[in-house]
Amino acid sequence: MSRGRGNKSSRNFAACMAAAAVLAGVASLAAAGSGPGYDDPNNWPQYHRSYNAWRFSPLTQINKSNVGKLKVAWIHQPGNITHGLQATPIVIDGVMYTISADNNVWAIDAATGKTIWHYAAKLDPVVREVFYQAASRGVTVGRGKVFVGTLDGRFIALDQKTGKEVWATQLTNSKTEYGALFSAPPQLAGNVLFGGTTGGDQPIVGKIFAVNADTGERTWTFEIPKNDPKSWPGDSRKQAGGSAWMPGTYDPTTDTIYIGTSNAAPDYYGDERKGDNLYTSTLLALDPKTGKIKWHRQEIPHDTWDFDAAYEALLIPHEGKQVLVHLNKSGFVFVMDKDNGKLENVWQYAENMNWTKGIDPKTGAISEMNRPEVGKQKLFCPNLLGARSWNHGAYNPQTKLWYSSGMEVCNTVTGAKQEEVASINGLSLGLSEITLVNPPGKKADGYLAAFDPYSGKVKWKKRFDLPPLSSVLTTAGGLVFYGDMRGNLYAFDADDGKELWKFVAGSGARGGPVSYAVNGKQYIVIPTGLGSHAPGFLAGAFPEIKDLPGGAALIAFTLE
Amino acid sequence: MRAVKFVAVIFLLSSIQAVADESASPPGKSEGQAVPSASAGQGTTPPFDLADTARIEAGKGRFGANCAAYCHGFEGSGGKTPAFRGRTDLKPEEVFKVITEGRRGADVMPAWGNGFSAEKRWELVAYIMYLSRQPPKP
Repeated sequence: MSRGRGNKSSRNFAACMAAAAVLAGVASLAAAGSGPGYDDPNNWPQYHRSYNAWRFSPLTQINKSNVGKLKVAWIHQPGNITHGLQATPIVIDGVMYTISADNNVWAIDAATGKTIWHYAAKLDPVVREVFYQAASRGVTVGRGKVFVGTLDGRFIALDQKTGKEVWATQLTNSKTEYGALFSAPPQLAGNVLFGGTTGGDQPIVGKIFAVNADTGERTWTFEIPKNDPKSWPGDSRKQAGGSAWMPGTYDPTTDTIYIGTSNAAPDYYGDERKGDNLYTSTLLALDPKTGKIKWHRQEIPHDTWDFDAAYEALLIPHEGKQVLVHLNKSGFVFVMDKDNGKLENVWQYAENMNWTKGIDPKTGAISEMNRPEVGKQKLFCPNLLGARSWNHGAYNPQTKLWYSSGMEVCNTVTGAKQEEVASINGLSLGLSEITLVNPPGKKADGYLAAFDPYSGKVKWKKRFDLPPLSSVLTTAGGLVFYGDMRGNLYAFDADDGKELWKFVAGSGARGGPVSYAVNGKQYIVIPTGLGSHAPGFLAGAFPEIKDLPGGAALIAFTLE
Repeated sequence: MRAVKFVAVIFLLSSIQAVADESASPPGKSEGQAVPSASAGQGTTPPFDLADTARIEAGKGRFGANCAAYCHGFEGSGGKTPAFRGRTDLKPEEVFKVITEGRRGADVMPAWGNGFSAEKRWELVAYIMYLSRQPPKP
């Protein structure tokens, strides 16, 4: 190409360089990589961004070198702060879809924070009586619709563009099922919309419901307590609890739903339900078309400590194949083959744990259990909320680390025969006393840790005086985003945990941070506004929680 | 047009199904009633002596089973809620109202008016008033 002389050729050269610069700019927005964790890098199209539950964004525009310069781009406030913001927003093609208190659904311009449409669910008045009030962990978007699980036991589909109701299907009877409701978004498996309700601590038969996503017609219902007197003697099955209250995930490569189930009820009183109590505290792999079990792994047979198996099924690469890494509330992580549940490893997640002498990493056999007893006050670690609450971890394929929270808090429990639960908002805990206490010899606290997800080896751990309740976001910019119970928001170096950015949001983080790009610009959005039952329960060990304010503010950050 | 008619039929069938489901459900205690109200025909004066020890014991058991674990803590001293011991400001009729109707702010207390009879709620009041007469926890 000649230089200087010849205007046409120098204009061509300039045009080529400009185009190259634009392409370089677009290409540098996302890290290269293959697989579901890297697909669709500009969006957050499902609850954990990708079906492997990584909560990983491949975007690199915001990275270690510039995250210190993050500034607020916009704030969206729904106006109702009851139970804060617990959702993980969905972002598709520049539109954010999320949900706030009392099932108010929002479509928001993800670049400007302006509301595009707002749907306020008309809820049955019974929602003022139920135990699990106000909150939802998100919505699901697909097939031209926004799907909601409601506080009065329905799945609802809204038109994605307008927010108008397309169909609504009643699935539970709040009055006869102890207020069983949806506190999390139902998920899509092809044209099947599926999800479970609250109620693991209530005298119900927990269920997973499935409907046709386009019409709302009911297809299958999976009853979690197995219909087998060896699993549930006498009448115990009718009060089994056994709910699937957290979102499942759908693996399209094998057409499999992964969904975990809750503890068995009455929580700390197992004398009248002696048996394995299948399928409580179990990771289920289901066929989406029929709801039938492909395989299952019951992590805690005959649970008497409120040890749910409801948390996310993390899929990670390990030595050429994919394994499923699953944290149980009991403080143990079960690592299994993702296609048949065959156990590969079990490692102890909780620092303080006294309910068993250990779990065999090859067989999953639980040795020498320390069970609650009627009329006797005993110490149990971890506490009723578990080694971690439902706030999700995140996996970074570049560091190969899993970033996940923990709480080191114990409780004394005096077991008691469970009487009939008189009110729909009552719980079936099987105790006469429960008091949060410090772990022996230590002050109760919480942490964010970077683990090797297969072996459990800790790379770094950051301690917090109050256990943080935020989900984690990790990005290809080498960052981990997080928030604590006071509303401090952080970006940490994914390699060593060094704090690179901090922002004071004013009320605690209980939702899911996300990242996405619109018109070549990367955003980090963190829901703030403290809520859920956990802070109130933890106030027994951390009295300063009494003074923490509520709130509801979805905050977007960007560079420049 | 046929597709539209087909879709309309599906919508109609779905809505009929939804209505049928609701009418088939067994009547609950709160049928026809919205959020329970403390003054709806039950009055706000206790039907018994709130200092009656048997009533306080009944309230204590009900409190332990329903109120303590997740929210108010052992003897009402935990949770995000103010402690009950050593309280001079509690009035029985106000306590009864909060139990009956629930409370909403940043946090939520469910309404118990449909779950427990007025007598059972007054037993909870008796226990809470008893706690208020105890010295605050050190």
